[in-house]
Amino acid sequence: MTWLTNLPAWARWAGAAALGMLLLTIVQSVSGTELLTEEGTAQAMVRWSIPILLAGLGGLYSERAGIVNIGLEGMMILGTWFGAWGALNWGPWGGLLAGLVGGALGGLLHAIATVSFGVDQIISGVAINILAPGLTRYLSERVFSGEAGGSVSQSPRVDGFDSFTVPGLADGLGTIRDQDIFWISDMAGFARGLVAEMSFFTLFGLLMVPLSGWLLWKTKVGLRLRICGENPIAGESLGVNIYGHKYLGVIISGALSGLAGAFIVLELAGLYRGGQTTGRGFIGLAALVFGNWRAIGVLAGSLLFSYPFGLSLVDFNAESSGEATRAVLLVIAIALVGVAVWAFRANKRNDVILAGLIAAIALIWYLSTDTAASWLPNTMPYALVLIVLFFASQRLRGPRTAGLPYRKGET
Amino acid sequence: MAPAIELIGITKRFPGVIANDNINLTVEEGEVHAICGENGAGKSTLMKILYGMQPADEGVMKVFGEEVTFGSPNDAIDRGIGMVHQHLMLADQMSVIENVILGSEPTKGGGIIDFDAAKAHLAEVGSAYGLTVDPDDMIDTLEIGERQRVEIIKVLYRGAKVLILDEPTAVLVPQEVEELFNNLRELKADGATIIFIDHKLQEVLEISDSITVIRRGKTIATVKASDVTAGDLAELMVGEELPSPATGDSTVTTDVALEVNGLTVLDDDERAVVDDVSLKVHRGEILGIAGIEGNGQSELINAIVGTWSANSGNVRMAGKDITTASVRDRREAGLGYVPQDRHREGLLLDAPLWENAALGHQTGAPYSKGFWIDRASSRDHTGTIRSEFDVRSPNVDVSARALSGGNQQKLIIGREMTAHPDVLIAAHPTRGIDVGAQADVWNQIRAARAEGLATLLISADLDELIGLSDTIVVMYHGKLVATLDPSEIDPRTLGSYMTGAALSDASATDPGPSELSGDPS
Repeated sequence: MTWLTNLPAWARWAGAAALGMLLLTIVQSVSGTELLTEEGTAQAMVRWSIPILLAGLGGLYSERAGIVNIGLEGMMILGTWFGAWGALNWGPWGGLLAGLVGGALGGLLHAIATVSFGVDQIISGVAINILAPGLTRYLSERVFSGEAGGSVSQSPRVDGFDSFTVPGLADGLGTIRDQDIFWISDMAGFARGLVAEMSFFTLFGLLMVPLSGWLLWKTKVGLRLRICGENPIAGESLGVNIYGHKYLGVIISGALSGLAGAFIVLELAGLYRGGQTTGRGFIGLAALVFGNWRAIGVLAGSLLFSYPFGLSLVDFNAESSGEATRAVLLVIAIALVGVAVWAFRANKRNDVILAGLIAAIALIWYLSTDTAASWLPNTMPYALVLIVLFFASQRLRGPRTAGLPYRKGET
Repeated sequence: MAPAIELIGITKRFPGVIANDNINLTVEEGEVHAICGENGAGKSTLMKILYGMQPADEGVMKVFGEEVTFGSPNDAIDRGIGMVHQHLMLADQMSVIENVILGSEPTKGGGIIDFDAAKAHLAEVGSAYGLTVDPDDMIDTLEIGERQRVEIIKVLYRGAKVLILDEPTAVLVPQEVEELFNNLRELKADGATIIFIDHKLQEVLEISDSITVIRRGKTIATVKASDVTAGDLAELMVGEELPSPATGDSTVTTDVALEVNGLTVLDDDERAVVDDVSLKVHRGEILGIAGIEGNGQSELINAIVGTWSANSGNVRMAGKDITTASVRDRREAGLGYVPQDRHREGLLLDAPLWENAALGHQTGAPYSKGFWIDRASSRDHTGTIRSEFDVRSPNVDVSARALSGGNQQKLIIGREMTAHPDVLIAAHPTRGIDVGAQADVWNQIRAARAEGLATLLISADLDELIGLSDTIVVMYHGKLVATLDPSEIDPRTLGSYMTGAALSDASATDPGPSELSGDPS
């Protein structure tokens, strides 16, 4: 199996995605739904994954700099309000920029508290999560409530970005999809969903993945930022400005969370509304852990966690009422049987029992119903996060000193 | 030619102590210069000053003849001085090359690291000094000796001509020490100047050209390694002082109160820090353990007290096996403990004295009644400790922080003694306290000894060890290497045992197998 670990990260994730598609295709053929690998599902998944992705990348910068940022959610909330406000005044690009700045201000607050004053990182993060909704409500009352369609908890409607379809590629994938070849056509159709009618903001979010990976692992500032999370004392002994790089990491973290908020406003909701982030900042943190504190891993985690939600958007409507979501239960059952077999071979008894148990529950559930309950898709991402982290977290390794206070000159 | 490093009259004061007192040091270019001294003698402070980590209060530093002042390590690096820290400064989850270039990364412009150029330079430095590492290895896959090599390369990569190595052999096994020495010889042959801090005399004599001995913050002497023996160095390091705290007549009985058999404790790297140690302490006996700090004494007492678990061997109290017993069970069975760091382990500094007195005895009278803490009785009993052990404080409700070090220590001694333990583990009981309090502590230990207390005494104060102990064992590299009679030994000889110097001497002249056995009984 060493050839597997020698593959580059993107190739391993691509392989995993192809296997996942195979699983979906097989389940689809036995449970009489076509939505699992639908183009629309893929499109919805990508769109809904961007806020999680941006928050997760935000967490990446912060934790790599040694600061746990549980305040991603609060910074995202700041991003939603500022995004709406910016978009009302200057259009979509204004919204994007204002959201970025709003989140970055939240990051700056977290950095001042944790880096300069040594406040416990969890406490500061929770404080920001509590502060942000209050602040945005106050600002809404001052700014939005006078305007048409605006109120203390809501902004007037705002315009989003134009969307575009990648020419050539989308047509090519469409042709393969229409050939109706098992697995291959399903993959092509699904992939077409990723490149068709994509918004500029979505593209912008996806581009953050290679950009972040490059910045953190190939540049001077990235290396210095990462030493803050691994061994700041070693960095200090070589003259690295630890405080400065920690500030940088946390502020970028806030800026990306703010972008996530702006995305929700501009692309998903079309307006600012109190409470619209619905815990995506925390799912972003989960994606960060799932992705082993790597940019591409965060992307994989975000897509995985937003799949059930994207599916539900096409699955709960006039023609369909949850057959496809029900089929996901079978996917989970099969995947967990796979985990159980792997755990059995690795001699991990507890994991075998746990995976087997959840697989059994999912299978029984699948067999005893015809359609999924409508609350299931909303719950599934969270349940999925828990299940994945149960089994994955043992072999994950985050930055060594993330969460620990650091004072210059103390060894 | 100007010397590589010249320090003139360096003085550094910390609150209450003078760490460096008018130190003079001259290191010639191209030599290996060792700096020797006991722990706390001021070696590390001096090196921190030379590396720009701390400013000196007084004195002049010259590097290759030029007078310098360093505000940060960067200034020292710019002058060609590099330091290999005792605790390696490496990020375990990064690659060798990332660790090496950090802080002075070659770039292609735009802040993009030029890894090819970095690797080329690394290979160049490596081959110039005969040090090889794979730049893409992750640090956590490397052996400790290889990691140290990365540290040395890290320093050379920055163009250092003077290398400071702070106790580099402390973490190495003998083969790795040999390899390190070969590397150092090669560095020297290529023109590097090396300052080598150590207190292991055999190693110092083997590797260095010149040796400067520091004692209590002062430079005692600078000698040529070829002109001295380990015994001479030991004398210089330890100095000659008169023992004072004599215990008087022996009260040693034949009842074994504490027995340790074949105890082995492994550290995180699976190395034996306590290596097959066996000892017996009888009722009425004080057994002293001598040794330079870091030779396994802390781990030994932790294993006896129960805060660390032993990997093999057993500990018995009055014949009963307590090897796997919890700390509380051990204490309730009559084990008293005076920890070596009273602030970290001995006291809750912000809690009142009576709560501190109850610590470790909180499960029974006089501090508690059933489930509840008995405040009245606790205060009352603490008042008794206060008067009997002369703990000077206004009342028993002030916080422990308000007390001087000596009074804090007397409170701890009182807390342990009033519980009437059968066995007392006393680690550095008089460290950092004034002379008066010191005499009080000695008196208390002596009085308890007369009543049949078995005491295991660990101390860096050789006079204290020789004066109080009925028997002294020497701990070196985790092993008990010698058993000595305190009435026949002076601090100088004891010091040479502790540094390992006398071991080879003794085995050559006067081996006496009984004297080298690990069992003092």
